[in-house]
Amino acid sequence: MYILNFNNTAFITIALWIIGSLFILCYKKIKYSRLIGNLFTIIGTLVIIVFVIILWIEIERPPLRTLGETRLWYAVFLPIVGILTFIRWQYKWFLFYSLGLAILFLTINIINPENFDKTLIPALQSPWFVPHVIVYMLSYALLGVSSVVSAWGLYLIKFKTFKPELLNKADNLVYMGFSLLTLGLLFGAIWAKEAWGHYWTWDPKETWALLTWLCYLLYIHFRYKHKQKIITALWILALAFIVLLICWIGINYLAVSGYSVHTYSS
Amino acid sequence: MINNKRTIWKYPWGYAESFIIVITLLILGFAINYIGKSTVSSIQWPVNLYLGIVIIILLLLIHFLFKKNPFVKWLSSIPAAISAICFYTFLVLLMGFIPQGSSKASGFIHEIGLSDIVSSHVFLFAQIYFLVILGLVTLRRSFPLKSNNIGFFLNHFGLWLTLFAASIGAGDLQRVTITVSKTNAVYYGVNQKGETIHDLGVAIQLKEFMDWEVEVDDFFEYGVCMGEKFHPVYDIGAAPAAYVITKHIKTNEINEGWISCGSFRFQGNFLKLSDRMLLVMAEPEPKKYSSKVKIYTTSGDDFETTIEVNKPVTVNGWKIYQLDYNHAMGKWSDISILELVKDPWIPVVYFGIFMLIAGALYMFWIGNKKKID
Repeated sequence: MYILNFNNTAFITIALWIIGSLFILCYKKIKYSRLIGNLFTIIGTLVIIVFVIILWIEIERPPLRTLGETRLWYAVFLPIVGILTFIRWQYKWFLFYSLGLAILFLTINIINPENFDKTLIPALQSPWFVPHVIVYMLSYALLGVSSVVSAWGLYLIKFKTFKPELLNKADNLVYMGFSLLTLGLLFGAIWAKEAWGHYWTWDPKETWALLTWLCYLLYIHFRYKHKQKIITALWILALAFIVLLICWIGINYLAVSGYSVHTYSS
Repeated sequence: MINNKRTIWKYPWGYAESFIIVITLLILGFAINYIGKSTVSSIQWPVNLYLGIVIIILLLLIHFLFKKNPFVKWLSSIPAAISAICFYTFLVLLMGFIPQGSSKASGFIHEIGLSDIVSSHVFLFAQIYFLVILGLVTLRRSFPLKSNNIGFFLNHFGLWLTLFAASIGAGDLQRVTITVSKTNAVYYGVNQKGETIHDLGVAIQLKEFMDWEVEVDDFFEYGVCMGEKFHPVYDIGAAPAAYVITKHIKTNEINEGWISCGSFRFQGNFLKLSDRMLLVMAEPEPKKYSSKVKIYTTSGDDFETTIEVNKPVTVNGWKIYQLDYNHAMGKWSDISILELVKDPWIPVVYFGIFMLIAGALYMFWIGNKKKID
């Protein structure tokens, strides 16, 4: 492999992230623990960023060609978005989710060092690939949690203990998830233009991604106007997530799937 | 509470009126397809430019002259917006279930335009309905533009511009497939309608990759070397092996022998071509589709370049993409299939896309906090 030692770097980074997370978890017990936790996660992220920069210089090309390199980038960008979002919105679960995913990707690379030699198919060798995938990973998590909130809301309404603040929380998750969904669509479009010559070809995955986007767009506009119609809003939110699931997983079972640039199983 | 006894079609219009209009447009669109047996053909330069300008002027006039008219007010209202989103969502949902563009489509679904929704009248109506509503609501909130409306403006105008430019510019998109070879420069190609296009303004010739001609005489995907020769053996650690004959283009010097990339079990084999050149077989991996070509332009600027998947080359307003190659010959392919794409509206579409990206980042950072406060 490379002159750099990936394993040691990855272990240091993972350790720093875990220590940081522990500080953030017990923020009420120790003074300044949130600040210390943030510092640890930021330093951990800087370590892996420096590794990528040195690797880039070392191999004299952008590290975007192999499976292992792609996962390295996930481990750089997921924590960046996670930490920024935590600083902005204090969503602990979101920080842990993004750090957890990053740790998972680093671990996969530690266990399978041959991933650094597995060249991606040419179409995937694009600077847009990593951002495209990352924003979807994060967006689906945010929208997934918002749908859990909607299910919980529908349950509470049944027992007449629902409080409108709950839906305001879901709204914020939807706004964030929707903005990442938008970025995912647009990054995909720009990438498609570079790789296949056109930014939109109504590929089945594209069609369903647009459909998901439209459903959340509907929710946002409905909520904007009708703050009082809670039950309808909760149902729109639940249905939108079903469309999202079809787009993500169910599409392979639909008659339309046939040929799609998003199918790599062949 | 909302007055439930409100009579329909009495201003201000709400959901009932909005959805009646959408359903009417739906039925009308299907009917035109069914009766007219025609699809919507895209308009081309410069007609689309003129139409675009007319539409923009109309929207501006409607906004500034009839801002207070109840019908115009309805057009930029949430019920109208929701009906437009639903209209669009419904058609995209149909696209998500009905296979699109299949040539053998027939029957009622085909006749009302559902087998090719993008070119159906109903899609055109949805597009116009959506763009008018989105355009008017953008105008309503943008004049005067307040600082807390920045996110709104980026998202709404960005989307409007992207959709508008993509729709009216669709007719100007040219995609020409061209098969280039080493023998001579090719100056024509076949467009998306199957017509041969001659006036590309560029000619392309595939360049030799090296000074040696390589001919593959024998190839085993799983080979094992026994003595001097490779044999097809399906065994653990068996590696791809080929018997190759090489000829130097200038000196006609000939070399032949077995090459193999080897595996964890067997050593690789290479062929010595000269004191400074070895022919080796690379590890099997997804092929890097690339073409080294010489490009001739009408302006006389000729140059050599390499075209790769994901790395198109721009010449004379064309973007040249690596599309396909002669699979059987693999790396030694003597032809390469390129695609030339011309999309003059792309800067406008990208302008809209980057506005949307900025709007999305803004939205991520601001969330819906403003509305709670």
